[in-house]
Order: sequence, then structure tokens, then C-alpha cells
Amino acid sequence: MGGPLRFLLSNEFGLIVLVLLFGILFSTLSPAFLSKFSLYALGRTSAVNIMIGFSMMVVIITGGLNLSVGAIGVGAAMFGGWLMQAFGMPWVPGVIGGLAMGAALGALNGVIIVRSGLHSFIITLATMSIFFGVMIYLTRAESYREISPAFTSYGRMKILGVISPLLLVTFAVAIMLSVLFRFTALGREMLVAGANARAAEISGIRVNRMITYCHMLSGILAGVAGLMLVSRTGAAIPSMAGQLGQDWLLPAFLGPVLGGTLLTGGRLSVLGTLLGSFLVTMLTTGLLLMQVGAFWIQTYLGLLLLAAVLIDLARRSYLERRKLL
Amino acid sequence: MNQKFWQSEWFGPLLITVTAIVIVSSLNPSFLSPFNIQILLLAISVNAMIAFSQMIIIAIGQMNLSVGAIGGMAAISFGGMMEVWGIPWPIAAVLSLSIGLLAGIANGALCAYTGISAFVITLASLSIFKGINLGITEAQPFYDIPDTVKSLGNDTFLHPLPWLVLPAVAAAVLLWYLLFRLPLGRAILAVGGNEHAAALSGISVPRIVIVAHAISGLLAALAGIMLVGRLQIGQPTIGDDWLILSFAAPVIGGAILTGGHVSVAGTFLGVAIVAIITQVLVLFSIDPFLVQVVLGGLILWAVGINRYREVRAHRKIAAGAI
Repeated sequence: MGGPLRFLLSNEFGLIVLVLLFGILFSTLSPAFLSKFSLYALGRTSAVNIMIGFSMMVVIITGGLNLSVGAIGVGAAMFGGWLMQAFGMPWVPGVIGGLAMGAALGALNGVIIVRSGLHSFIITLATMSIFFGVMIYLTRAESYREISPAFTSYGRMKILGVISPLLLVTFAVAIMLSVLFRFTALGREMLVAGANARAAEISGIRVNRMITYCHMLSGILAGVAGLMLVSRTGAAIPSMAGQLGQDWLLPAFLGPVLGGTLLTGGRLSVLGTLLGSFLVTMLTTGLLLMQVGAFWIQTYLGLLLLAAVLIDLARRSYLERRKLL
Repeated sequence: MNQKFWQSEWFGPLLITVTAIVIVSSLNPSFLSPFNIQILLLAISVNAMIAFSQMIIIAIGQMNLSVGAIGGMAAISFGGMMEVWGIPWPIAAVLSLSIGLLAGIANGALCAYTGISAFVITLASLSIFKGINLGITEAQPFYDIPDTVKSLGNDTFLHPLPWLVLPAVAAAVLLWYLLFRLPLGRAILAVGGNEHAAALSGISVPRIVIVAHAISGLLAALAGIMLVGRLQIGQPTIGDDWLILSFAAPVIGGAILTGGHVSVAGTFLGVAIVAIITQVLVLFSIDPFLVQVVLGGLILWAVGINRYREVRAHRKIAAGAI
């Protein structure tokens, strides 16, 4: 079994092909797709969506999930916005404060999950309601608009006319995550804890601590996504992820699932999630440009998720039959 | 099963409900005024349907994220058929219920035959159904609802009992009869308790999964249709905020999320507790934003208690006490 063949059969390669195919399709059907503005907008939106995907990915590796990504993301962004508006903080401590809030909320999820021994689904469903409710109560559902100008101009900057700096943040985070899970003991232990908790426990890994770390990391990444939105829109808005942050759920799962992260835990693909989230954003942008009915977009995304899991199922059973996996 | 009634899972919620009613009504007598009872019962009737729709899926050990989306799709179909096509309301209601049923069957078939987790399937179908809803309505409500429907959705048949209580009570009784008296219901609980054992004892697991999802879709659609009558408008946003409630009420009622164990009475009381708390926040002009926090807190508290009972039961078995 050579390396190149394995790559050609991989999820990531399939995604690259799909991105190229749809890129060619959209640019021939609608020339505006390749305009500088459109590419810039695509990069900026996908930067946030990829980050949301990462935030879910790092919890999926534990075999769990985190329904509260949206609520944490908005909570962290609102906290950062409040620090900047109420205390006139410069953006660096404001952002650090926001990320700390994300980490704290994520860690709280993790602690409740490992202490209670209950599934992360029901715990994060409850905390999603609690985090969002407390955030709305404290902010009186009002936005923070006095955000440090240095921070908002960063979100609107254009490098070489087309590249959003937000995309650079996302790439930096992607590289950090790859290093974490590939080369550090901590990352490997997180993956092993997710793959087989009992075996990990026996070989001396503190599984509960690893699960808590994963949730904390998820909180930080959700916070990054929320703060990116603040930087882009120039305000911290409580409704930026919809009611209870539910609007983030679909992008959060689409990226990792398309990218081949196993929902049962223990395996992840940073590149796959990146490509998966990018593909989803590109499809949304392309369909909107072709004006095939903006209101139907959600249906297409749902069908895409369904198609992705079904194709993945077929691919895996094919590979198993040919003994390639 | 010589379980004492105070050990059953609905006794705790019943105690809480009664205590809450006594305390709240002594602090604010208007709580037990006929008008307030009518309002409370209206909320409980619709919410009970939403909770039952999730409960039947919890019974087979799965989850259904798309209850709200199915309810919303049925609601706008109901409104749309009456306004755009002028279909009489009973026929529109039956057609909308069939849409809910079909949506549920689709969910069930996908879960049963692909082996993909219900979470992912219903997340995808949530998005598909909600997208169909928005695609048809373009986010605009249907306003032209017949007066009969409006009246059924709000008025009482016997003061202070609203018409909407009837379908809710009927659904509760039928579900109880199904789950605890019919072989089909026992099979549903058996699949939830231990899928493998159920399959070995000759139960067709895929069939049961599809039936459970079909019932869930039907109940969600019914809740959507009832809300159209109650709100007097075919709102596309119907169903958007059902998710938390749909899980809160069954777990307060003692349902175990891994499946095989649900309580119809408990779920009903769970709905009542949530409705009373929501009312209290309004009556004592406490911030209504806190409803979400309270709901989330209730879920954590309830799953904590259920978990504790489970662990204790296991310990008892291990100690040979039973």
C-alpha cells in the first residue's frame, strides 16, 4: 500500500476535488464569483465557519459533542465587547478576556460531564440554555458597539486586495491544532482518551482531565470564532448566532463530518475539517450568487450533510471490502 | 413490581407541582383565577405534545433534533393550505398531520437502515425541514386563519378548560396505553433498553425505530397545528424554540436518556412544572430572560437526580438487596 494511493482514497483528496469542481462550476455560471469582492467575502466567512468547525471537532474526538458552541461563542464575544466598551480596554486584553470566558465556560461543561458521568449531549443542551440565558439577562439583549477601532479595522482589512486577515488567524489556529494533535503528548493523550477510554485509563492517561481539556479548548475556539465576528461587524451582537446560538450547530457539524472526523471519537482531521467547512461556505456563497432562492439554502445544507454521511458510509464499506482500510 | 407509589418517577414531579401551586397561589391569589388557569392549560396542552414527541424517541434511546422543524413545517402547511388553496380546516389539518408523519417516517427509515446516529440524521433533517419551511413562506406568516380554528385554539368548552386540553389528554392516554399495555409499546421500550437483546428476542428493530419516529413526527405536527390555532397565525418561526423544552419535560419526568425508561405522567408533570415556573416569572415580574436559565438548570438538576437513582439502584443490585 503506497502513500499516494492512500491519499487519493482519502477524504481530504475527495474534498479538494469537490472544491475545485464547484469552484469551476460557479465561476463559469457566474463570473462575479471570482471577483475580488466575492473572493474576499468568501475567505472572511469561511474563516469564521472553519473556526466553528474546529470548535466542534476537538469535542467530537472525545466521542462527545458540544451543543453549546454557539452560546459559548456569543458569550465570549459579548464579554470581550463589554470589557472594551465598559472599561475602554485596548483590544488585546479585551480579546484575552473574551477567550478566557470561552475557556471557562468550556471547562465548566467538561467538569460537569466528567463529574456526572452523563452524556455530553444533555449536559451541553442544558448549558447552552443557561449560558445564553445568563448572557441575555446580563446584557439586556443589547449590543456593544464601542469596540476598539484597531480591532474592528483588523477585521475589515484586505491583504493584497483579496485576503482577509481573519483567514490568517484561522490558518494559524489550524497549524497549532495540527501540531498539538500530531506532535505533542497532550494532543495524543486527548485522542487516545477519546478512542478508548478504558484502555487509555489503564495505560495511565487521566481520561477525565483530557475530556475537560477538550471541552476547554472547544470553548476557546468558539470564543475565537465569536470575536472574529465582532471584529468583522464592528459590534458584539447578542443575536449573532441566533436563538441560543443554534445557528452555529449546522456549520459546526458539517465541517468535521465532511472532513472525516469520526463521530465515535479518537480520530480527527484538521485539514479535512478546514476543507469541509470551506466547501460548505463556498457552496452557500455560490448558491446565493446564482440566486437559486436564498430561503432554500438551509435545505441544501441539510441535504449536503445527509449526502456526506451516506457517501462516507458507502466509501468506508467499499474500503473495508477491498481491505484498504 | 411492588414499587411504592412514592418511589415512582412521577411522585417527585407531582410533589413539586403541588407545592409550587400552593406556594404561588398563596403569594398571588390571581394565580388560581379561572383566566390564569385557562392560560396555563393552553401552554401545557401544546407543550405536552412537544414533550411527548421527544419522549417517544427517548424511549428507544435516540434523540430527535427535528421536532421543532417538523412542527413548524406542519404549521405553515396547515396555514398555507387554508389561506392559499382554501382547503377546509379539518382536511388541511389531516394533510398537515400526514406531512409530519411522513417526515417522521423518513427520519426513522434513515436512522434504521443506515445505522448513522439519530443525532446526525435529525440534525440534517432539521435543516432540510426548516429550509422547506423558509423556502415556501419566505419567512412571511400566513394570516388568513379561519375563525373556527382561532376559536378552537383559544376558547374553552367547559370553563376554564380549553379545547386544546382534549388532544393533549387523548395523546397522553393513548401513549400510556401504547407503551405499557400493547406489545408494540413494550417492543419500543425493549429496543430502548437493550437493542441487541430485543433483536435476539425476535423484535424487528428497524420497524420499531421507524414506528417511534413516525409517532414523534405526528405529535410534533399536531403541536404545530395546535399552535397555529392558539397564535391565530401561521408563523414560520413556530418550532424554533422547542428543542430545550422537548428534552426538559421528559427528563424532569424521570426519562433515562439511554432509552427504555420513560414516564407519560412524569413528562406531563414536567411540562406543568415548566409552565408554572414560566408563569411565576411573569406574575412576579421577574426577568423573562431568565426562563432559559431556569430551563437549563432544571435539565441539569433532573438528569442529576435520575443518574443518582440509577447509580443507587445498581448499588442495591450489587449488594443483593433486591
